[in-house]
Amino acid sequence: MKLIIDETRCKGCNLCTLVCPYKIFQEGTKPNHKGVVVPVLDRPERCTNCRLQKLYGRVLCGVCQMICPDQAITWVDEDPYSPEKVVVEE
Amino acid sequence: MKDFREWLREDRMPHIYCTGCGNGTVINCTLNAVNQMGWEPENTVFISGIGCSSRAPGYIITDSLHTTHGRAIPFATGVKLCRPDLHVVVFTGDGDLAAIGGNHFIHACRRNIDLTVVCMNNYIYGMTGGQGSPCTPLGAISTTTPYGCDEAPFDLASLATAAGANYVSRWTSYHVKELTRAVKAGLETPGLSFIEAMVQCPTGYGRRNKLRDARLMVQWMRDHSVLMKKWKQMEAEGRPLPEDKFPVGEFVRRHRPAMGVPEE
Ligand SMILES: Cc1ncc(C[n+]2csc(CCOP(=O)(O)OP(=O)(O)O)c2C)c(N)n1
Ligand code: SF4
Ligand code: SF4
Ligand code: SF4
Ligand SMILES: [Mg+2]
Repeated sequence: MKLIIDETRCKGCNLCTLVCPYKIFQEGTKPNHKGVVVPVLDRPERCTNCRLQKLYGRVLCGVCQMICPDQAITWVDEDPYSPEKVVVEE
Repeated sequence: MKDFREWLREDRMPHIYCTGCGNGTVINCTLNAVNQMGWEPENTVFISGIGCSSRAPGYIITDSLHTTHGRAIPFATGVKLCRPDLHVVVFTGDGDLAAIGGNHFIHACRRNIDLTVVCMNNYIYGMTGGQGSPCTPLGAISTTTPYGCDEAPFDLASLATAAGANYVSRWTSYHVKELTRAVKAGLETPGLSFIEAMVQCPTGYGRRNKLRDARLMVQWMRDHSVLMKKWKQMEAEGRPLPEDKFPVGEFVRRHRPAMGVPEE
């Protein structure tokens, strides 16, 4: 699963930056076309729910989604198979 | 349904609430609880009065009644008494519930009508520009208390408990998991369930009271709420209860006779 912020909904309140135990949401710096400074995601693959929702069949943690007053945070399916490029150091 | 977000009217989003308004969080928690009950939208009704908080039912796919100021509970009583089979949830604000609707509130608790009342208490009349409400704390600045509020506020959860409601809890918009659980417990309890959700109104309250934005307000609530168990312990030990703090948790859960409970 992949964590995303829906930019059409986010109003930039930064409540998500307050609650994530991994500090995945970081205050943004650049306003988007609506003038909203949307938070940026720092290594979102660390998110508990991204890693475990499929395994447990329910939302885990999820406090960012619950506190987001604008219903802007969600998870989407990733491509079933996306090959990762692995760089092997000599 | 699997996801509480399926209860939202996607066509009405984004909603009109200001940046960081706590009402959106309470909608999430309430819908999550309703969804966990396994209820169907066809059998669930949301009812509200007037205020920012009271706009909530308009964003939900079920049938709803957005009524007149202070009268959500009378309308909900009517719905519940003619159709006890429906699940009725009331969204209200501190002004709607405790000022103009104060009498309806205490009598609904006394009669113990089978409703779940979720009050978004932001200590203020948000919609009309930040006037003081019966929940404005002592010393707080609002447009009608420019020198600081000098009337003591209502403690809504204690009021509902004293008036006879079967289930009463208070949480804040910081406590999303606990708030969801409390709403669910309320939905499960026959009789009147009252859930007080303390929320931030950054526009009408925060910026006048040295809490510049939503994040600071939520941090303030997190740091000034005391778990009920600890609060009662302090009380029992005769320790002074801090004036700037408030208890959160379950106030009461009991089985007084109720009205409007569907027959098994
Ligand atoms: C009979 C009547 N009186 C007054 C008003 C004006 N009015 C609209 S909303 C409101 C207060 C809302 O406060 P609250 O219930 O706390 O909701 P909030 O906006 O804070 O969520 C008032 C006084 C009205 N609409 N109808
Ligand atoms: S679900 Fe939890 S861990 Fe994942 S981003 Fe949200 S708050 Fe962080
Ligand atoms: S909590 Fe939601 S609306 Fe607020 S900044 Fe985060 S994603 Fe945006
Ligand atoms: S005025 Fe206050 S209560 Fe109303 S939408 Fe704005 S922040 Fe929320
Ligand atoms: Mg209010």
